[in-house]
Amino acid sequence: MIRRAGTLLTFLSVLFFPWPLTAGLALGMALFEPLVPLAAGLFADTLYYVPHGGSLPLFTISGAIVTAVALFVHSRLKAGIMG
Amino acid sequence: MKKTSLARRNAILSGRSVSWGALALLFAILALGLRLVAPDLFWQAFTPVFSIAGTFSAQSHALLGGLGDTAKLAASNETLASENAALASENQALQTKLADLSALTADKAAPGVLAGVVAHPPESPYDTLVLAAGGKEGVALGMEAFAAGGVPIGMVSSVLADFSRVTLFSAAGTATSGWVGRANIPLTVIGEGGGALRASVARAANIAVGDVVSVPGPGQLPIGSVVRIDSDPLSPAVTLRILPAANPFSIAWVELRATGVAPMTFATSTLP
Repeated sequence: MIRRAGTLLTFLSVLFFPWPLTAGLALGMALFEPLVPLAAGLFADTLYYVPHGGSLPLFTISGAIVTAVALFVHSRLKAGIMG
Repeated sequence: MKKTSLARRNAILSGRSVSWGALALLFAILALGLRLVAPDLFWQAFTPVFSIAGTFSAQSHALLGGLGDTAKLAASNETLASENAALASENQALQTKLADLSALTADKAAPGVLAGVVAHPPESPYDTLVLAAGGKEGVALGMEAFAAGGVPIGMVSSVLADFSRVTLFSAAGTATSGWVGRANIPLTVIGEGGGALRASVARAANIAVGDVVSVPGPGQLPIGSVVRIDSDPLSPAVTLRILPAANPFSIAWVELRATGVAPMTFATSTLP
């Protein structure tokens, strides 16, 4: 339930709320769903990113980093629980 | 048995079904694909969503504003009403003068394109505006965008058939040539994102808080004013913090005109 509602809320916040709130939600959701930060970042850049000299798709990059960290932590935690 | 354990260790696919994160990522990739393959269709699909988001944002601001001190708000409202009346009167006088000057010079300025804003900075962190007017309406790359009152705010950076995008002067990594103060000291205004602007000038220029910053357009047009001056005693230059004259977070429409002037350039990564 938290996963479904949190994922939907994060996506809606990309459209409705200022980006710091979206970033906070995505970080929180990384605890439950590691792919949400990457998905939200990609969606935000799909909507707003303008490629021009020197600019980078910051939200996708940030989301990918958070997702990578979350996946690593999740894998370690699960391995720890199993062990 | 071992296979089940490996599947359970997978953080993307849970034991039950595909995760919500994977579905969200799939949706984001589909949206990206739509934007790349059919950008016009993409913006047409998302325009109603942005419209709802804009209404929601405005109503939430009104709700939060209503929670403030009523007496203070009433006093502020009264002050604003009197200022508005004075400005309307001044505007009328200026329009009369402008009409007289236009008649004298027989100026045939190119008509502008009025465009509604589909998305703006609160939802658009890269300091761009998505406009509901594109190539079909006569929008072209490099046109200058003006907010209410003729305040320049940025330039058209991409054009589709039905939509276009304006990059604001405050977009991170953009540099805009202009002037500051009564002495019209030349400077380069750097966008910092989030509606913020800064510029560096020599300490000897004696720039003060409140000095107007302007850019070339048809003439010299104000884009904002100095609100703070950061000074390092060891440096011969000071950093000006500039507040835009038009609030990019509440712009509902803009006028696009081909002024023939390009005050703004996108700074490359090699610039500071």
